[in-house]
Amino acid sequence: MAGKEEMSRYLAFISLLIFLLLGTLGAAALKRDASTVQKNRPAVTRNNTKEDGGQEVFEANCARCHTPPMSISPRTTGTVIMHMRMRARLSRHDEELLLKYMAP
Amino acid sequence: MGAGVLQLIHQLERIRFLIVLGLCLAGLHCSAQDTGDENHAGHVPLLSGGLGYVHNVNGGITSLEPQINPVLLVPFGSHVLLESRTEFFGFFEREHQTSGPFTGKVFKLVDYAQIDWLANTHLNVVAGRYLLPFGLYNERLAPIWIKNLQDPPITAAIGTRTSGSGDGVMLRGVAIQRPYYSVQYTANFSAFSNVNRLESARTAGGDMSIYLTPARLEIGTSYQRFLQKQEINNAAAYVSWQPRQTPVDLKAEYDYCYNGKGYWIETAYLFEQLPAPAFFRRFQAVGRMQQFFPMHGGGNSLPTVNTQRFDFGLNYYIHDNLRLISSYGRNFSSLQNANVWNAGFTYRFSLPLWPERKK
Repeated sequence: MAGKEEMSRYLAFISLLIFLLLGTLGAAALKRDASTVQKNRPAVTRNNTKEDGGQEVFEANCARCHTPPMSISPRTTGTVIMHMRMRARLSRHDEELLLKYMAP
Repeated sequence: MGAGVLQLIHQLERIRFLIVLGLCLAGLHCSAQDTGDENHAGHVPLLSGGLGYVHNVNGGITSLEPQINPVLLVPFGSHVLLESRTEFFGFFEREHQTSGPFTGKVFKLVDYAQIDWLANTHLNVVAGRYLLPFGLYNERLAPIWIKNLQDPPITAAIGTRTSGSGDGVMLRGVAIQRPYYSVQYTANFSAFSNVNRLESARTAGGDMSIYLTPARLEIGTSYQRFLQKQEINNAAAYVSWQPRQTPVDLKAEYDYCYNGKGYWIETAYLFEQLPAPAFFRRFQAVGRMQQFFPMHGGGNSLPTVNTQRFDFGLNYYIHDNLRLISSYGRNFSSLQNANVWNAGFTYRFSLPLWPERKK
Protein backbone atom coordinates (compact mmCIF):
# COMPACT_ATOMS: atom_id res chain seq x y z
CA MET A 1 0.00 0.00 0.00
CA ALA A 2 2.79 2.36 1.03
CA GLY A 3 4.66 1.34 -2.11
CA LYS A 4 1.68 2.29 -4.29
CA GLU A 5 1.38 5.68 -2.63
CA GLU A 6 5.09 6.28 -3.08
CA MET A 7 4.86 5.26 -6.71
CA SER A 8 1.91 7.59 -7.30
CA ARG A 9 3.85 10.47 -5.75
CA TYR A 10 6.86 9.78 -7.94
CA LEU A 11 4.76 9.40 -11.08
CA ALA A 12 2.87 12.61 -10.40
CA PHE A 13 6.13 14.42 -9.74
CA ILE A 14 7.90 13.20 -12.85
CA SER A 15 4.85 13.83 -15.07
CA LEU A 16 4.61 17.35 -13.76
CA LEU A 17 8.33 17.86 -14.29
CA ILE A 18 8.23 16.64 -17.90
CA PHE A 19 5.17 18.72 -18.81
CA LEU A 20 6.60 21.82 -17.16
CA LEU A 21 9.93 21.34 -18.90
CA LEU A 22 8.44 20.71 -22.32
CA GLY A 23 5.84 23.43 -21.97
CA THR A 24 8.37 26.06 -20.96
CA LEU A 25 10.96 25.10 -23.52
CA GLY A 26 8.41 24.67 -26.29
CA ALA A 27 6.89 28.07 -25.63
CA ALA A 28 10.33 29.70 -25.49
CA ALA A 29 11.40 28.03 -28.71
CA LEU A 30 8.26 28.99 -30.66
CA LYS A 31 8.94 32.66 -29.95
CA ARG A 32 12.21 32.52 -31.76
CA ASP A 33 12.21 33.27 -35.44
CA ALA A 34 13.71 31.02 -38.04
CA SER A 35 16.89 33.03 -38.47
CA THR A 36 17.74 32.84 -34.80
CA VAL A 37 17.06 29.14 -34.83
CA GLN A 38 19.39 28.65 -37.77
CA LYS A 39 22.10 30.76 -36.14
CA ASN A 40 22.12 28.75 -32.96
CA ARG A 41 22.10 25.29 -34.48
CA PRO A 42 25.28 23.20 -34.34
CA ALA A 43 27.68 24.01 -37.14
CA VAL A 44 26.58 21.41 -39.67
CA THR A 45 27.78 23.56 -42.54
CA ARG A 46 27.48 22.13 -46.02
CA ASN A 47 27.94 23.71 -49.38
CA ASN A 48 24.57 23.11 -51.00
CA THR A 49 21.52 25.25 -50.67
CA LYS A 50 18.32 24.21 -48.97
CA GLU A 51 16.56 24.09 -52.34
CA ASP A 52 18.57 21.03 -53.29
CA GLY A 53 16.65 18.99 -50.73
CA GLY A 54 19.76 17.37 -49.31
CA GLN A 55 19.63 19.41 -46.13
CA GLU A 56 16.00 18.47 -45.56
CA VAL A 57 16.77 14.77 -46.04
CA PHE A 58 19.80 15.09 -43.77
CA GLU A 59 17.97 16.84 -40.94
CA ALA A 60 14.84 14.74 -41.15
CA ASN A 61 16.42 11.30 -41.41
CA CYS A 62 19.59 11.50 -39.30
CA ALA A 63 17.78 13.13 -36.40
CA ARG A 64 15.17 10.38 -36.31
CA CYS A 65 17.64 8.25 -34.35
CA HIS A 66 20.70 10.29 -33.35
CA THR A 67 22.32 13.70 -33.33
CA PRO A 68 23.54 14.43 -36.85
CA PRO A 69 27.33 14.38 -37.19
CA MET A 70 29.03 17.74 -37.64
CA SER A 71 31.54 16.42 -40.12
CA ILE A 72 32.24 13.25 -42.10
CA SER A 73 35.35 12.75 -44.17
CA PRO A 74 34.35 13.06 -47.87
CA ARG A 75 36.15 9.85 -48.75
CA THR A 76 33.93 7.88 -46.39
CA THR A 77 30.68 9.73 -47.09
CA GLY A 78 29.55 7.27 -49.76
CA THR A 79 30.11 4.32 -47.42
CA VAL A 80 28.34 5.98 -44.50
CA ILE A 81 25.34 6.88 -46.64
CA MET A 82 25.11 3.33 -48.04
CA HIS A 83 25.06 2.11 -44.43
CA MET A 84 22.40 4.65 -43.50
CA ARG A 85 20.34 3.81 -46.58
CA MET A 86 20.07 0.29 -45.22
CA ARG A 87 19.49 1.27 -41.59
CA ALA A 88 17.05 4.13 -42.19
CA ARG A 89 15.44 2.58 -45.28
CA LEU A 90 16.17 5.59 -47.45
CA SER A 91 15.23 5.72 -51.11
CA ARG A 92 17.81 5.89 -53.90
CA HIS A 93 16.69 9.47 -54.54
CA ASP A 94 17.32 10.45 -50.91
CA GLU A 95 20.72 8.79 -51.05
CA GLU A 96 21.67 10.88 -54.09
CA LEU A 97 20.48 14.09 -52.43
CA LEU A 98 22.51 13.27 -49.33
CA LEU A 99 25.62 12.54 -51.38
CA LYS A 100 25.32 15.86 -53.19
CA TYR A 101 24.69 17.67 -49.93
CA MET A 102 27.44 16.11 -47.85
CA ALA A 103 30.13 15.69 -50.49
CA PRO A 104 29.28 18.15 -53.29
CA MET B 1 37.67 -42.21 -42.35
CA GLY B 2 37.33 -39.74 -39.45
CA ALA B 3 40.76 -38.21 -40.13
CA GLY B 4 39.89 -37.81 -43.79
CA VAL B 5 36.69 -35.96 -42.95
CA LEU B 6 38.57 -33.70 -40.54
CA GLN B 7 41.19 -32.97 -43.20
CA LEU B 8 38.44 -32.12 -45.68
CA ILE B 9 36.80 -29.79 -43.15
CA HIS B 10 40.14 -28.03 -42.54
CA GLN B 11 40.64 -27.60 -46.27
CA LEU B 12 37.13 -26.18 -46.67
CA GLU B 13 37.82 -23.79 -43.79
CA ARG B 14 41.01 -22.63 -45.53
CA ILE B 15 39.17 -22.15 -48.83
CA ARG B 16 36.41 -20.22 -47.09
CA PHE B 17 38.97 -17.99 -45.37
CA LEU B 18 40.72 -17.32 -48.70
CA ILE B 19 37.41 -16.50 -50.39
CA VAL B 20 36.45 -14.04 -47.62
CA LEU B 21 39.94 -12.48 -47.71
CA GLY B 22 39.77 -12.19 -51.49
CA LEU B 23 36.34 -10.57 -51.35
CA CYS B 24 37.56 -8.05 -48.76
CA LEU B 25 40.62 -7.15 -50.83
CA ALA B 26 38.51 -6.85 -53.97
CA GLY B 27 36.15 -4.63 -52.02
CA LEU B 28 39.01 -2.47 -50.79
CA HIS B 29 40.29 -2.10 -54.34
CA CYS B 30 36.90 -1.41 -55.95
CA SER B 31 35.79 0.97 -53.25
CA ALA B 32 38.95 3.03 -53.47
CA GLN B 33 38.12 3.93 -57.08
CA ASP B 34 36.49 7.19 -58.04
CA THR B 35 32.73 7.06 -58.12
CA GLY B 36 32.54 9.17 -61.24
CA ASP B 37 29.21 10.62 -60.09
CA GLU B 38 28.20 14.25 -59.70
CA ASN B 39 29.57 14.36 -56.16
CA HIS B 40 32.90 13.70 -54.52
CA ALA B 41 31.73 11.13 -52.03
CA GLY B 42 34.20 8.35 -51.54
CA HIS B 43 33.29 4.72 -50.98
CA VAL B 44 36.24 3.87 -48.76
CA PRO B 45 36.02 1.01 -46.22
CA LEU B 46 35.44 2.27 -42.76
CA LEU B 47 35.84 1.18 -39.16
CA SER B 48 33.25 3.03 -37.14
CA GLY B 49 31.26 2.46 -33.98
CA GLY B 50 30.87 3.52 -30.41
CA LEU B 51 32.60 3.03 -27.12
CA GLY B 52 31.81 4.11 -23.62
CA TYR B 53 31.79 3.47 -19.95
CA VAL B 54 28.80 3.36 -17.61
CA HIS B 55 29.00 3.34 -13.83
CA ASN B 56 25.73 1.79 -12.72
CA VAL B 57 24.21 1.58 -9.26
CA ASN B 58 21.02 -0.50 -9.15
CA GLY B 59 19.36 -0.91 -5.77
CA GLY B 60 22.64 -0.19 -4.00
CA ILE B 61 24.66 -2.69 -6.05
CA THR B 62 27.42 -1.14 -8.14
CA SER B 63 28.49 -2.44 -11.53
CA LEU B 64 31.13 -1.14 -13.92
CA GLU B 65 30.19 -1.50 -17.58
CA PRO B 66 32.77 -0.58 -20.23
CA GLN B 67 31.98 -1.48 -23.82
CA ILE B 68 33.15 -1.03 -27.37
CA ASN B 69 31.10 -1.81 -30.51
CA PRO B 70 33.23 -1.62 -33.66
CA VAL B 71 31.33 -1.47 -36.94
CA LEU B 72 33.11 -2.58 -40.11
CA LEU B 73 31.79 -1.28 -43.43
CA VAL B 74 33.27 -2.57 -46.70
CA PRO B 75 31.51 -1.38 -49.86
CA PHE B 76 31.86 -3.21 -53.18
CA GLY B 77 30.99 -0.44 -55.58
CA SER B 78 27.85 1.52 -54.76
CA HIS B 79 25.34 -1.33 -54.61
CA VAL B 80 26.88 -3.98 -52.36
CA LEU B 81 27.92 -3.45 -48.78
CA LEU B 82 29.48 -5.82 -46.27
CA GLU B 83 28.80 -4.64 -42.73
CA SER B 84 29.29 -6.07 -39.28
CA ARG B 85 29.10 -4.97 -35.66
CA THR B 86 30.75 -6.78 -32.79
CA GLU B 87 30.02 -6.06 -29.17
CA PHE B 88 32.64 -6.28 -26.43
CA PHE B 89 30.78 -5.67 -23.22
CA GLY B 90 32.34 -5.79 -19.77
CA PHE B 91 30.31 -6.36 -16.62
CA PHE B 92 32.10 -6.09 -13.28
CA GLU B 93 30.50 -6.30 -9.84
CA ARG B 94 31.83 -6.54 -6.30
CA GLU B 95 32.45 -10.13 -5.23
CA HIS B 96 29.79 -9.98 -2.51
CA GLN B 97 27.62 -7.45 -4.35
CA THR B 98 28.27 -4.61 -1.88
CA SER B 99 31.75 -5.51 -0.65
CA GLY B 100 34.92 -7.12 -1.88
CA PRO B 101 36.96 -6.61 -5.04
CA PHE B 102 35.36 -6.13 -8.43
CA THR B 103 35.13 -9.26 -10.54
CA GLY B 104 33.40 -10.00 -13.79
CA LYS B 105 33.91 -10.84 -17.41
CA VAL B 106 33.85 -9.44 -20.90
CA PHE B 107 31.10 -10.69 -23.21
CA LYS B 108 31.73 -10.90 -26.93
CA LEU B 109 28.79 -10.90 -29.33
CA VAL B 110 28.33 -10.51 -33.05
CA ASP B 111 25.34 -8.20 -33.44
CA TYR B 112 25.35 -8.39 -37.21
CA ALA B 113 27.55 -9.62 -40.04
CA GLN B 114 25.63 -9.20 -43.25
CA ILE B 115 25.99 -8.58 -46.93
CA ASP B 116 23.61 -6.00 -48.38
CA TRP B 117 22.55 -5.68 -51.96
CA LEU B 118 21.07 -2.25 -52.53
CA ALA B 119 19.14 -3.20 -55.64
CA ASN B 120 16.89 -0.16 -55.92
CA THR B 121 14.64 2.11 -53.87
CA HIS B 122 12.02 -0.57 -53.36
CA LEU B 123 14.23 -3.54 -52.63
CA ASN B 124 17.35 -4.08 -50.58
CA VAL B 125 18.36 -7.64 -49.85
CA VAL B 126 20.22 -8.61 -46.69
CA ALA B 127 21.78 -12.02 -46.11
CA GLY B 128 23.69 -13.23 -43.08
CA ARG B 129 23.32 -12.22 -39.47
CA TYR B 130 21.22 -9.11 -38.96
CA LEU B 131 19.49 -7.20 -36.17
CA LEU B 132 15.87 -8.25 -35.77
CA PRO B 133 13.72 -5.41 -37.10
CA PHE B 134 11.17 -5.17 -34.31
CA GLY B 135 9.97 -1.86 -32.87
CA LEU B 136 12.16 1.19 -32.43
CA TYR B 137 14.80 0.02 -30.04
CA ASN B 138 16.74 -3.02 -31.26
CA GLU B 139 17.71 -1.85 -34.71
CA ARG B 140 17.87 1.90 -34.24
CA LEU B 141 18.43 3.02 -30.67
CA ALA B 142 20.54 0.30 -29.05
CA PRO B 143 24.09 1.55 -29.87
CA ILE B 144 25.72 3.10 -26.83
CA TRP B 145 26.36 6.44 -28.55
CA ILE B 146 22.76 6.74 -29.78
CA LYS B 147 20.58 5.82 -26.82
CA ASN B 148 19.61 8.72 -24.59
CA LEU B 149 19.23 6.49 -21.53
CA GLN B 150 21.62 3.61 -21.11
CA ASP B 151 19.17 1.04 -19.71
CA PRO B 152 16.96 -0.52 -22.39
CA PRO B 153 13.16 -0.38 -22.06
CA ILE B 154 11.62 -3.28 -20.14
CA THR B 155 9.82 -4.45 -23.28
CA ALA B 156 13.02 -4.54 -25.40
CA ALA B 157 13.02 -8.33 -25.01
CA ILE B 158 9.71 -8.61 -26.89
CA GLY B 159 10.23 -9.56 -30.54
CA THR B 160 14.00 -9.87 -30.19
CA ARG B 161 14.41 -13.32 -28.72
CA THR B 162 16.76 -15.00 -28.33
CA SER B 163 19.82 -12.88 -29.06
CA GLY B 164 18.43 -9.73 -30.69
CA SER B 165 19.77 -10.98 -34.03
CA GLY B 166 18.57 -13.32 -36.73
CA ASP B 167 20.51 -15.56 -39.11
CA GLY B 168 18.85 -15.63 -42.49
CA VAL B 169 17.44 -13.28 -45.07
CA MET B 170 15.79 -9.89 -44.86
CA LEU B 171 14.15 -7.71 -47.49
CA ARG B 172 13.68 -4.01 -46.86
CA GLY B 173 13.15 -0.78 -48.66
CA VAL B 174 10.78 2.04 -49.47
CA ALA B 175 7.40 0.83 -50.70
CA ILE B 176 6.02 4.25 -51.60
CA GLN B 177 7.65 7.66 -51.67
CA ARG B 178 5.69 10.86 -52.24
CA PRO B 179 6.62 14.47 -51.43
CA TYR B 180 4.59 14.44 -48.22
CA TYR B 181 5.02 10.89 -47.01
CA SER B 182 6.88 7.65 -47.50
CA VAL B 183 6.15 4.07 -46.53
CA GLN B 184 8.99 1.75 -45.50
CA TYR B 185 8.87 -1.98 -45.00
CA THR B 186 10.99 -4.86 -43.74
CA ALA B 187 10.35 -8.60 -44.01
CA ASN B 188 12.66 -11.18 -42.51
CA PHE B 189 13.12 -14.86 -41.87
CA SER B 190 15.65 -16.26 -39.43
CA ALA B 191 16.75 -19.85 -38.94
CA PHE B 192 17.63 -21.47 -35.64
CA SER B 193 21.33 -21.39 -34.78
CA ASN B 194 23.24 -22.47 -31.70
CA VAL B 195 26.67 -21.64 -33.11
CA ASN B 196 28.71 -19.85 -30.45
CA ARG B 197 28.19 -16.06 -30.66
CA LEU B 198 25.87 -16.48 -33.64
CA GLU B 199 22.85 -17.76 -31.74
CA SER B 200 19.44 -17.04 -33.20
CA ALA B 201 15.90 -18.33 -33.09
CA ARG B 202 13.64 -19.50 -35.88
CA THR B 203 11.40 -16.53 -36.52
CA ALA B 204 9.55 -14.74 -39.28
CA GLY B 205 8.33 -11.20 -39.15
CA GLY B 206 8.20 -7.76 -40.56
CA ASP B 207 7.87 -4.07 -39.92
CA MET B 208 6.07 -1.29 -41.73
CA SER B 209 6.05 2.42 -41.03
CA ILE B 210 4.79 5.61 -42.59
CA TYR B 211 6.86 8.77 -42.33
CA LEU B 212 5.00 12.06 -42.70
CA THR B 213 7.70 14.34 -44.04
CA PRO B 214 6.29 17.83 -43.26
CA ALA B 215 5.45 16.85 -39.69
CA ARG B 216 8.55 14.66 -39.25
CA LEU B 217 6.30 12.09 -37.68
CA GLU B 218 6.77 8.35 -38.07
CA ILE B 219 4.12 5.79 -37.16
CA GLY B 220 4.91 2.12 -37.47
CA THR B 221 4.07 -1.39 -36.50
CA SER B 222 6.04 -4.64 -36.19
CA TYR B 223 5.01 -8.27 -36.11
CA GLN B 224 6.98 -11.41 -35.43
CA ARG B 225 6.08 -15.07 -35.20
CA PHE B 226 8.39 -17.05 -32.94
CA LEU B 227 8.60 -20.49 -34.56
CA GLN B 228 10.40 -22.58 -31.95
CA LYS B 229 8.91 -24.91 -29.35
CA GLN B 230 5.96 -22.79 -28.26
CA GLU B 231 5.02 -20.72 -31.29
CA ILE B 232 3.98 -17.25 -30.17
CA ASN B 233 3.12 -13.92 -31.77
CA ASN B 234 4.85 -10.64 -30.93
CA ALA B 235 3.52 -7.27 -31.99
CA ALA B 236 4.48 -3.64 -31.54
CA ALA B 237 3.19 -0.22 -32.49
CA TYR B 238 5.39 2.85 -32.27
CA VAL B 239 5.61 6.53 -32.95
CA SER B 240 8.60 8.81 -33.39
CA TRP B 241 8.35 12.60 -33.72
CA GLN B 242 10.96 15.31 -34.15
CA PRO B 243 9.13 18.62 -34.66
CA ARG B 244 10.80 21.20 -36.89
CA GLN B 245 10.57 24.17 -34.55
CA THR B 246 12.03 22.64 -31.41
CA PRO B 247 14.84 20.11 -30.86
CA VAL B 248 12.52 17.67 -29.14
CA ASP B 249 12.71 13.95 -29.79
CA LEU B 250 9.61 12.04 -28.77
CA LYS B 251 9.43 8.28 -29.06
CA ALA B 252 6.85 5.84 -27.77
CA GLU B 253 6.19 2.16 -28.24
CA TYR B 254 3.61 -0.41 -27.20
CA ASP B 255 4.64 -4.07 -27.22
CA TYR B 256 2.60 -7.21 -26.82
CA CYS B 257 3.48 -10.90 -26.64
CA TYR B 258 2.38 -14.11 -24.93
CA ASN B 259 4.47 -13.31 -21.85
CA GLY B 260 3.20 -9.80 -21.31
CA LYS B 261 2.51 -6.34 -22.63
CA GLY B 262 3.86 -2.92 -21.90
CA TYR B 263 4.73 0.48 -23.21
CA TRP B 264 7.38 3.16 -22.92
CA ILE B 265 7.40 6.82 -23.78
CA GLU B 266 10.59 8.85 -23.99
CA THR B 267 11.16 12.54 -24.53
CA ALA B 268 14.50 14.23 -25.08
CA TYR B 269 15.17 17.92 -25.38
CA LEU B 270 18.45 19.40 -26.57
CA PHE B 271 18.96 22.88 -25.16
CA GLU B 272 20.52 24.19 -28.39
CA GLN B 273 17.85 26.90 -28.80
CA LEU B 274 18.07 28.12 -25.24
CA PRO B 275 18.92 31.85 -25.04
CA ALA B 276 21.94 31.10 -22.87
CA PRO B 277 25.73 30.80 -23.23
CA ALA B 278 26.97 28.04 -25.56
CA PHE B 279 27.99 25.90 -22.59
CA PHE B 280 24.37 25.42 -21.54
CA ARG B 281 23.11 24.78 -25.07
CA ARG B 282 25.00 21.48 -25.15
CA PHE B 283 22.85 19.90 -22.43
CA GLN B 284 20.15 17.37 -23.20
CA ALA B 285 17.34 16.49 -20.80
CA VAL B 286 15.63 13.12 -21.14
CA GLY B 287 12.57 11.63 -19.47
CA ARG B 288 11.15 8.14 -19.88
CA MET B 289 8.13 6.44 -18.38
CA GLN B 290 7.29 2.77 -18.83
CA GLN B 291 4.98 0.08 -17.53
CA PHE B 292 4.90 -3.66 -18.01
CA PHE B 293 2.13 -6.14 -17.24
CA PRO B 294 3.10 -9.83 -17.35
CA MET B 295 0.77 -12.45 -18.76
CA HIS B 296 0.97 -16.22 -18.31
CA GLY B 297 3.58 -15.69 -15.62
CA GLY B 298 5.87 -13.45 -17.69
CA GLY B 299 9.42 -14.67 -18.18
CA ASN B 300 11.61 -14.97 -21.28
CA SER B 301 13.68 -11.98 -20.12
CA LEU B 302 10.52 -10.13 -19.04
CA PRO B 303 9.46 -9.34 -15.44
CA THR B 304 7.15 -11.79 -13.70
CA VAL B 305 5.26 -9.09 -11.80
CA ASN B 306 3.73 -5.72 -12.70
CA THR B 307 6.60 -3.27 -13.09
CA GLN B 308 6.71 0.48 -13.53
CA ARG B 309 9.73 2.64 -14.01
CA PHE B 310 10.63 6.21 -14.75
CA ASP B 311 14.01 7.62 -15.69
CA PHE B 312 15.32 11.14 -15.87
CA GLY B 313 18.60 11.79 -17.63
CA LEU B 314 20.92 14.71 -18.24
CA ASN B 315 23.51 14.39 -21.00
CA TYR B 316 26.16 16.86 -22.07
CA TYR B 317 27.56 16.96 -25.63
CA ILE B 318 31.20 18.00 -25.44
CA HIS B 319 31.26 17.40 -29.20
CA ASP B 320 28.76 15.68 -31.47
CA ASN B 321 30.87 12.52 -31.06
CA LEU B 322 31.58 12.75 -27.36
CA ARG B 323 29.10 13.17 -24.55
CA LEU B 324 28.82 12.76 -20.82
CA ILE B 325 25.79 10.82 -19.64
CA SER B 326 23.92 10.62 -16.36
CA SER B 327 20.52 9.39 -15.31
CA TYR B 328 18.39 8.54 -12.33
CA GLY B 329 15.56 6.05 -12.40
CA ARG B 330 13.15 4.50 -9.97
CA ASN B 331 11.85 0.99 -10.47
CA PHE B 332 8.55 -0.03 -8.87
CA SER B 333 7.45 -3.63 -8.53
CA SER B 334 6.02 -5.86 -5.85
CA LEU B 335 9.38 -7.65 -5.70
CA GLN B 336 11.51 -4.60 -5.09
CA ASN B 337 11.46 -0.82 -5.39
CA ALA B 338 14.90 0.37 -6.37
CA ASN B 339 16.81 3.47 -7.40
CA VAL B 340 18.93 3.14 -10.52
CA TRP B 341 21.81 5.55 -11.18
CA ASN B 342 23.97 5.73 -14.30
CA ALA B 343 26.94 7.96 -15.08
CA GLY B 344 29.64 7.77 -17.71
CA PHE B 345 30.55 8.81 -21.22
CA THR B 346 30.03 7.67 -24.81
CA TYR B 347 32.15 8.27 -27.89
CA ARG B 348 31.46 7.68 -31.57
CA PHE B 349 34.50 6.99 -33.72
CA SER B 350 35.15 6.67 -37.44
CA LEU B 351 38.40 5.54 -39.07
CA PRO B 352 38.82 5.25 -42.86
CA LEU B 353 40.63 2.03 -43.80
CA TRP B 354 42.11 3.26 -47.05
CA PRO B 355 44.58 6.13 -47.57
CA GLU B 356 43.46 9.31 -49.29
CA ARG B 357 44.08 9.43 -53.03
CA LYS B 358 46.78 11.89 -54.01
CA LYS B 359 45.60 14.53 -56.45
